[in-house]
Amino acid sequence: MQEPVSGPAVPVGAGEVALSIEAIRKAYGATVAVEKAAMTLMAGEVHALLGENGAGKSTLVKILSGVVRPDAGGMVLKGRPYAPTSISAARAEGVATAFQELSLLPNLSVAENLLLPRLPKGVAGMTSAAGTWQAGAEILARYGLDHIDPGAALESLPLADRQRVEIVRAFVNARHVLVLDEPTAALADTQWLFDHVRAATAKGMAVLYISHRLSEVRALCSRATVLRNGRSIATVELSAATDGDIFEMMVGRRGHAARRAATSTAATLNAPVVLSVSGMAGDTLKDVSFELRKGEILGIAALEGQGQRELFRTLAGLRQPASGTISVDGVAQALRGPSHALRVGGGIAYLPEERKTEGILSGLSAASNIVLPILPSVSKAGLVSGRNERAASEEHAQRVEMSQRYLSFPIGDLSGGNQQKALLARVMATGAQTLLLFDPTRGVDVGTKQSIYAAISNFAEQGGSVLFYSSELPEIVQLAHRCMVLYGGRIFSEFTGEDIDEQALVAALIGHGGAERRASAGVH
Amino acid sequence: MTSQVDVMSKFQAEQDTRKARRIDRHTVSAIAVFVLCVVLILASRLVSPSLGSWQQVLTVLTLASFLVVLSFGQGLVILTGGLDLSLPAVITLGGVLTTTWIGNGPGAWYMLPFVLAICGGVGLASAIGIVWLKVPPFIMTMATSIIVSSAALGLTNGTPRGASPDVLLLLMKGSWLGIPAPVYFLVIFAVVGWIVQSRTVFGRYLYALGTNRDAARIAGVPITLVSVLPYVISAVCAGFVGMMLVGYANGATLRMGDNYMLPSIAAVVIGGSSILGGNGNFAGTVGGAILLTTVGTVIAAIGLEQGLRTIIEGGIILVALLLLREELFERLRGLSGKPRSGG
Repeated sequence: MQEPVSGPAVPVGAGEVALSIEAIRKAYGATVAVEKAAMTLMAGEVHALLGENGAGKSTLVKILSGVVRPDAGGMVLKGRPYAPTSISAARAEGVATAFQELSLLPNLSVAENLLLPRLPKGVAGMTSAAGTWQAGAEILARYGLDHIDPGAALESLPLADRQRVEIVRAFVNARHVLVLDEPTAALADTQWLFDHVRAATAKGMAVLYISHRLSEVRALCSRATVLRNGRSIATVELSAATDGDIFEMMVGRRGHAARRAATSTAATLNAPVVLSVSGMAGDTLKDVSFELRKGEILGIAALEGQGQRELFRTLAGLRQPASGTISVDGVAQALRGPSHALRVGGGIAYLPEERKTEGILSGLSAASNIVLPILPSVSKAGLVSGRNERAASEEHAQRVEMSQRYLSFPIGDLSGGNQQKALLARVMATGAQTLLLFDPTRGVDVGTKQSIYAAISNFAEQGGSVLFYSSELPEIVQLAHRCMVLYGGRIFSEFTGEDIDEQALVAALIGHGGAERRASAGVH
Repeated sequence: MTSQVDVMSKFQAEQDTRKARRIDRHTVSAIAVFVLCVVLILASRLVSPSLGSWQQVLTVLTLASFLVVLSFGQGLVILTGGLDLSLPAVITLGGVLTTTWIGNGPGAWYMLPFVLAICGGVGLASAIGIVWLKVPPFIMTMATSIIVSSAALGLTNGTPRGASPDVLLLLMKGSWLGIPAPVYFLVIFAVVGWIVQSRTVFGRYLYALGTNRDAARIAGVPITLVSVLPYVISAVCAGFVGMMLVGYANGATLRMGDNYMLPSIAAVVIGGSSILGGNGNFAGTVGGAILLTTVGTVIAAIGLEQGLRTIIEGGIILVALLLLREELFERLRGLSGKPRSGG
């Protein structure tokens, strides 16, 4: 490592090309994911990679990190040809990636995850548990994560901490290039990440930063490369480009103003109660009571790990509450499982948090995925075919503005945004009158978000009820008729209609203010 | 606003020039396996002039009917991500009960279904251990297998007696228009099996379960029932194979199922299904069963001794499994899957 030339303001090796890629092409079977992608990363810069879902960002990340090999084109790392054949080969050359779909091993400890494949050796060349723990603790301390126990099994950590471990591992392994793919998807607080990214670039690291949150990109990055339909459209100086310019480059058209949900709050306040929860408690939930009314969109805001996951999974029938009652349409119910939840009262359908592991059935077509819960009614004389699945899925695809041509594709081949649309279409197809949507726009692009918002609003206008959790406050402000803040397993405060205000929510999220703030638009 | 976005997303979708895949892997693999069968039968003329005839084709199909029925059940279990190692034992159970309880006496019309129900009960027992007690499938079915074999041994005191009911003789030994009855049976079974697996709600649930259990559960698939049924069906199929063998040989032995363990799995995998579950179709499995049987008859025709024959058969199955894994079909599809823009 060289010494800084003149203080941390001018990074080491600034102006030097760290990595350049040229005319990269990658096809999966007949599906072309990336073609003619080109980009240059300078040492010491944070370079954003922007694009809608399905633009080819993930494929490009996989190529950079050695997961897949490009069909054509080449890459140059620090003046030498770079063609990694595996993740470890990429790391050996100094390129490390924090993946969006976390690539950690859930049953191993935090320390083992950080140090593999080179665990410290002890007596007789055996791996040393104590040495591993120690080395893991040192790494965590270096990145300000002392609160994480290096010996804890990874799967025991909340999602946000798992994401931090994924990021830290990439930091540890990166020498020249660090790739961060949606690193803040599960992080409520970005300052920690930004500080460490800035420290790394000050030492000459090139960082490729992929995020859907333009404000983050503007705060952190200097330049951005925009991908669209697998091609790199342009590389721009962010200071010289407006949000509108960037949006236009991403989607090939001018953006339109965000819609606001029809404020029918007053009407929903007197509507009949469809779902009522009282005194629910469990592992992280302490005491949760609320009512959801017909036609209402009720938002839940919370920092990571406040019990929202448990709340949703309990209401979906995936786990049993330790105490408390759930009433559907006025009748107390013990939900035995998701298929039972679909049948009680008007029905409860759940859109899960993790699209890949709990949502999609990747080998089946998008149409099969959408109609799965209603297969018996799709079948004719007990038989189903791809054709009648497709026909039955069309109206539901329309509700979420999903293009019909994607219906016959295997859903695993679709972009994250289209997968999410299909999953939303699936819960709507069930005919359930209550939808539980856990972070329905997690990791999807701007255009898809608008489609999802519209579908949710329409659903509520037609008399359906929605309980949704979102990690993005603007989404709650835009969509919810009413919003509850979950903090420490309790409903900490509640806001209604116009009182739902981002600043007030932020204060409540971290436990400022309290019951007295209930239903008041307090400004922090 | 809504319609505007709709138009825009359509516009985008049309601008997206990436192509959809047309031919799915399972169609390719089924065709490949059938082509391989034909090639093998034709090539077997080179080994011995008695082979490669129409008569040999009929013999192969007759012998393949056992494996087709067996691998249907095994295929359903594999589709959900499980494995059934109790098939040989249940074949024996079905066969032994048929000869000792029914023989060529009366009452076959109600006793045969009763014997199949007992076999189904064995499958249910395995399923209970796997689904509720969470015992890994291969351990649970291995355990049922040992219990069932021992029961068959005890029941017969070591020497199964009795002959075949007439109806089974008719099924296995009869012929119509010069074609043996089992060949008709094979064709009908293959069609029905394909429909059950690929065209019914139950079949779709199996794919969903095998692809992603958690996701299937959240989507509202009745996963308990869908996990249990394949084991029951598989055991009933095995019991029926036992009956077919009884009809074919006019008697039962305690080791009649032994040679079907690996082939029942191999037929499924050679037919293009993943051993990990979630994909494949029955057409491929039928092809796999016929291919394996063809190989078996060719080896038998060379006139090697039994031990050597089994070794070669095992080796061929292993090589086939290695060669016919998914990657090969990925490549085949790359060559044959003619790109076409979806619409």
